[in-house]
Amino acid sequence: MQAMIEVRGLTKTYKETDAVKGISFDVEEGEIFGFLGPNGAGKSTTINMICTMLKPTSGDILINGYDVSKEKNRVRESIGLIFQQNTLDTKLTANENLKFHCRFYNVPKNVREERIQEVLAIVDLTESRYSKVETFSGGMQRRLEIARGLLHYPRVLFLDEPTVGLDPQTRAHLWEYILKLKKEQGITMFLTTHYLDEAEISDRVAIMDKGQIIAVDRPSKLKDQLGGDIIELSTNDNDQALKEIHENVQDAEVTVHEGTIHIKVASSDAFISSFLKSLSIPVTKLNIRKPTLNDVFMAFTGRNIGEAGDI
Amino acid sequence: MEGVLAIWQRDITKFFRDKARLFGSFTMPVLFLLIFGGGMSGTMETMMAGNMGETAADFNYIEFVFPGIVSMTLLMTSVFSALSIIEDKDFGYMKEILVSPVSRISIAVGKMFGAASVATIQGVILFALIPFLGLSYDPLSVLQVIPFMFLLACALSGLGLLFASLIRSTQGFQMTVNILVMPMIFLSGALFPVNNLPGWMEAVVTVNPVTYGVHVMKNVMVDVENTPAEVAEAMGLNLSVFGQEVTVFGAVVFILIFAVLLALLATKSFSRANA
Repeated sequence: MQAMIEVRGLTKTYKETDAVKGISFDVEEGEIFGFLGPNGAGKSTTINMICTMLKPTSGDILINGYDVSKEKNRVRESIGLIFQQNTLDTKLTANENLKFHCRFYNVPKNVREERIQEVLAIVDLTESRYSKVETFSGGMQRRLEIARGLLHYPRVLFLDEPTVGLDPQTRAHLWEYILKLKKEQGITMFLTTHYLDEAEISDRVAIMDKGQIIAVDRPSKLKDQLGGDIIELSTNDNDQALKEIHENVQDAEVTVHEGTIHIKVASSDAFISSFLKSLSIPVTKLNIRKPTLNDVFMAFTGRNIGEAGDI
Repeated sequence: MEGVLAIWQRDITKFFRDKARLFGSFTMPVLFLLIFGGGMSGTMETMMAGNMGETAADFNYIEFVFPGIVSMTLLMTSVFSALSIIEDKDFGYMKEILVSPVSRISIAVGKMFGAASVATIQGVILFALIPFLGLSYDPLSVLQVIPFMFLLACALSGLGLLFASLIRSTQGFQMTVNILVMPMIFLSGALFPVNNLPGWMEAVVTVNPVTYGVHVMKNVMVDVENTPAEVAEAMGLNLSVFGQEVTVFGAVVFILIFAVLLALLATKSFSRANA
């Protein structure tokens, strides 16, 4: 099977800095591909190059089999974009925004009405069709943008920080719509987000840092690589506790984050009871959890995604 | 083609929906006419018809300035309508257009037609004032001049387009355009004759598309054949460049070339744009 997006040796060099340093990856048809990294990692630059908005310094990009630098219009027809920034015309109605989009993308006249009804139904905006966009809430505008991005039946939908600035409830709803889309329409999705819990819905994620891709895999695989479980504990005397841990525990990674001791172990079940007996200091807080993408991110980049960015 | 129409239609729709802008666009040219036509006509007539002898009575400044005011309205509206491009950049909509398969030339032409249509509508509104100004034009020649007004407006909005695609801020755009528009009005023969100017000003007059616009408008609207020679001279009906008499046809061609050239330049800057 041919990949929906193929990136080979992609580079972007500005006057003095290399924003993107020769990256390569594939996005398979029908998958949700999460693209993660702190601000300044080169994510936006990469997306802009994939979307025909920025000319690469070198390297090749194929989308849906079309060359991004030679067949721009074919590529543009194949993709839908949901930007971080609002790109609706708020002075126009939802209906007008959708109609203009159909015309920009040469959607055949006889299917326009049907498609507009269809996409509005997907995002539950049928009743607001003839209202001006400026009267919409932030969540409604986002949904309308998603609806608009689907009008021309793109093969790939790019979602660049689609939930920034939305309240948690709206965010949760939006992900429901996105998962529904993947299930019902089989659209390939290319997703960037700062919220790593949201990236968990990805089939695969790529982690980018300092212009390079440092890991591409399924979220579960990446988390497995870190080892089985993470035990977080606080005690009355962390220093003493650490000393005892180092004496008693051999094959575990121990780190301290903000007054909490993190211990990575292959399996917590066998480890925990004997471990707790070995400690002489009372434990005030104990939490056993599976690694999250944030742990993965930290392991690869040495920092939290939140610390690295300015959002 | 569909892309051109869509971009054009969006700008027109937004123009009619913006009540304040609509009101302003009706009042501004009327104000100009009141000031130049009513207020200043006495002074201008004495100045301009001073050495005409007995035909002086036939010279009417309002008749002179009316096509000029229409051209001036076209110029200002066309150029300032390009502001919509900067707005589209600010509000993100330009991204929606730029990532779509609409060809870059369609974007430039659609925007050009949008601004030109708005300007032409305003110019045509001024025609409603003709009877109140004591002017009489042949209705047919007034109709004939409308397509030309659209062409002129295209050339002028092309100018606005080019600047809008190069400049990032609204303030910067307004500053630049003001500096550009002023000499284009004063050195075109729209408000007063441009004879006996110093050489460098003469040069501005020669390359200024408004000069040719005013020239064509006057020659089409005024009943040239029944105008005495001295009056025709004072009216600026005869325009010569490098010692050559400029014909209406020649002027139209000049403006057409100007419009096409600017559309191409704007296209080029859209192709480069990373909005």
